[in-house]
Amino acid sequence: MQNITRRDLGRLAMASAVAGAGVSASVFPASAQGANPIRIGMSMSLSGGLAGNGRAALAAQQIWASDVNAKGGLLGRPVQLVFYDDQTNGGQVPGIYTKLLDVDKVDLVTSPYATAMIAPAMPVVMQHQMCFVTILGAGVNSTFKYDRHFNMNVTGDDMKGSFAKGFLDIAGTLEPKPRSIGILAVDNDFAQRAAESARFLARQRGLRVVYDRSYPPSTVDFTPTLRAVQAARPDLIYIASYPPDSNGILRAASELRISAQMFGGGMVGPQLAAFQAQLGPILNNLVNWDIFSVEPTMNFPGVAEFLTKYREVAAREQTDVLGNYIPPYAYAQMQIVEQAVKRVGKIDQAALAADMHSQVFDTIVGPVTFSASGEWAHERNLLVQFQGITDGNLERYKHPGAKVILYPPSLKSGTPRAPYGTPA
Amino acid sequence: MNATLRFWLGAVALGLALVAGLRLLGNDYGYFAGYFVLQYVVLAGAWNILGGYAGYVNFGAAGFMAAGAYSAIVVRQWLGWDLLPGIVAAAVVAGLLGLGTGYLTLRLKGVYFSIATLCLAVVLQTLVVNWDYVGGSRGAYIIHAREIPPFTSYTEMLFIVMLGLAIGTTGIGRAVEKSRLGRGLQAIRDNERAAEAVGVPTLRLKLVATTLCGALMGVAGAPLPYYSGYLNPEAAFSLAYAVNAIAMPLIGGAGTWAGPVIGAVLLASLQQAATVTISSALNLWIVGWMLVVFVAIAPRGILGWFRRRG
Repeated sequence: MQNITRRDLGRLAMASAVAGAGVSASVFPASAQGANPIRIGMSMSLSGGLAGNGRAALAAQQIWASDVNAKGGLLGRPVQLVFYDDQTNGGQVPGIYTKLLDVDKVDLVTSPYATAMIAPAMPVVMQHQMCFVTILGAGVNSTFKYDRHFNMNVTGDDMKGSFAKGFLDIAGTLEPKPRSIGILAVDNDFAQRAAESARFLARQRGLRVVYDRSYPPSTVDFTPTLRAVQAARPDLIYIASYPPDSNGILRAASELRISAQMFGGGMVGPQLAAFQAQLGPILNNLVNWDIFSVEPTMNFPGVAEFLTKYREVAAREQTDVLGNYIPPYAYAQMQIVEQAVKRVGKIDQAALAADMHSQVFDTIVGPVTFSASGEWAHERNLLVQFQGITDGNLERYKHPGAKVILYPPSLKSGTPRAPYGTPA
Repeated sequence: MNATLRFWLGAVALGLALVAGLRLLGNDYGYFAGYFVLQYVVLAGAWNILGGYAGYVNFGAAGFMAAGAYSAIVVRQWLGWDLLPGIVAAAVVAGLLGLGTGYLTLRLKGVYFSIATLCLAVVLQTLVVNWDYVGGSRGAYIIHAREIPPFTSYTEMLFIVMLGLAIGTTGIGRAVEKSRLGRGLQAIRDNERAAEAVGVPTLRLKLVATTLCGALMGVAGAPLPYYSGYLNPEAAFSLAYAVNAIAMPLIGGAGTWAGPVIGAVLLASLQQAATVTISSALNLWIVGWMLVVFVAIAPRGILGWFRRRG
């Protein structure tokens, strides 16, 4: 290589300065907008693997902000959301929260969607002693033990003891009584916790676990895997999977004509409109974990109005067109912040946390109370069954009857149909 | 004063100026953004030793980096040791992994070697996913102290450590380039058989290069779990590391010690700026176009472009 001349170095310095300008410009605080708004900061996955749910959550939160502002704001101040795309990359999250708290000087922070993005935010949030309402994390605070962390997730404190309970309770009502179970789970945090719950509770109830395997997230062909499950002849098939694999598993199950008294469990994907449109009747009789369904038993005050607004926005924002999964919870996450701020009467992180620990919150997903660890004090895992699905028409999912709630008993809206694998 | 001394003094002075500047700025975000850029300076510099000088394209940068990150986690879980011993362990483990990769070069060249390195990353990810001791698929949490005197914050400490690693890596890259090792590696890149015929100990040089490259990539990954507080396999083996490790030296000018530094500062700064300004899927689009434009206009990188015009 030739030696670098002084002229070269000068040019390089200029190139570096131009590049650096981008970062340093963003280091300085953004100019205030509006009349001293309450700024709520968050990182959100707007691109990358979690973008589907991230964009839907953000759309719901923006609806909340516009609802609050239409009613005169919070503490008489308009609400402003400050958000950055974390690109579904946990490595971006600490920097984003530092930017929000140190540079943008936001008043409050909420979380991005799911554990892998929430956990990297925790050290920064804890260092700033902020109150942190998160959405659909799984046991994040069991490690951090942060007393200002609150998680909007129906799983509650004891995921192992409760997550698969509904599935097995429903199985217990079937005739003939199921005696064996096959468990298949993807290698990721959520699915492994779900499978652990199924394993633990199945053994407790004397079910024989005849198949128990995990598969790597990169798996694309599930035919051999499901043939192996089929060969074990389980009465119940419990699957814990993520969207790309849920699709492959359900298609493979359909092609192999797999039948079991109950099939489903902890699959993430069938909750989303895109899956419901694509898979149509393949979903029929699937019994799966969920968090929301438009059944009369879940018609909490405000949720129908929210869904109407959301569906108007969804097509424009290219997010989940139905909004029957994350969006009501993302809206409720912000309602919790709103109600706590109103009760406390000022932005005081310690007082907000104390309020969240002690009060009941009326949200569009029902009343919510938090335990000492910040999880829901009472778990409310839903087990729904797709019934009477003949095609991919999404219109049916806007009305009761397509996704019937079988568990918990307090929200039950229908009776189980068995076996899986029979046409509607 | 010779050139080497000038380089080191200049690098240390620049580092001190950076730290002083960020202290004056008075917020932690500068440290986070700086860390983000500097980790890529280390990664790109490491890639350049094998890919830039010897012409062996390593697609497995994310694998080596993750090996470093998980070595630091093991050291912490097993012995309770903190970051600095973790960095040493990362260098040893990833260096040995690099040595193993070096032996692959006995039989594999060109695209076949590149595919083998990519496979190595996949194998490592599968191992980590199934290894509960380091958190498996659930990921591992690292809870560190909030303050660490005499630094103003833990983040400042991480930034200064990464700054030291970046200066060290750049210095090592420069030393390699100006040594018999670098000239030998360049001979291998131009024509390995001819180099062998004129007496260049090709295997030995390649083993040194792969070991050095692996060790430095591991070192780049060791602070990652401390930086984010949580590390899962998807984040540790992110494709972004593998792509950036190749793109940055190519944009800056592969086969030169300054090229990876320029490429990393330019591209990582742009990515970080895009994250907090444009902040949508559009930032990936911009970075993609930037790569296309650089490959079309300056195939030998920024450094090569300036030289051609100079």
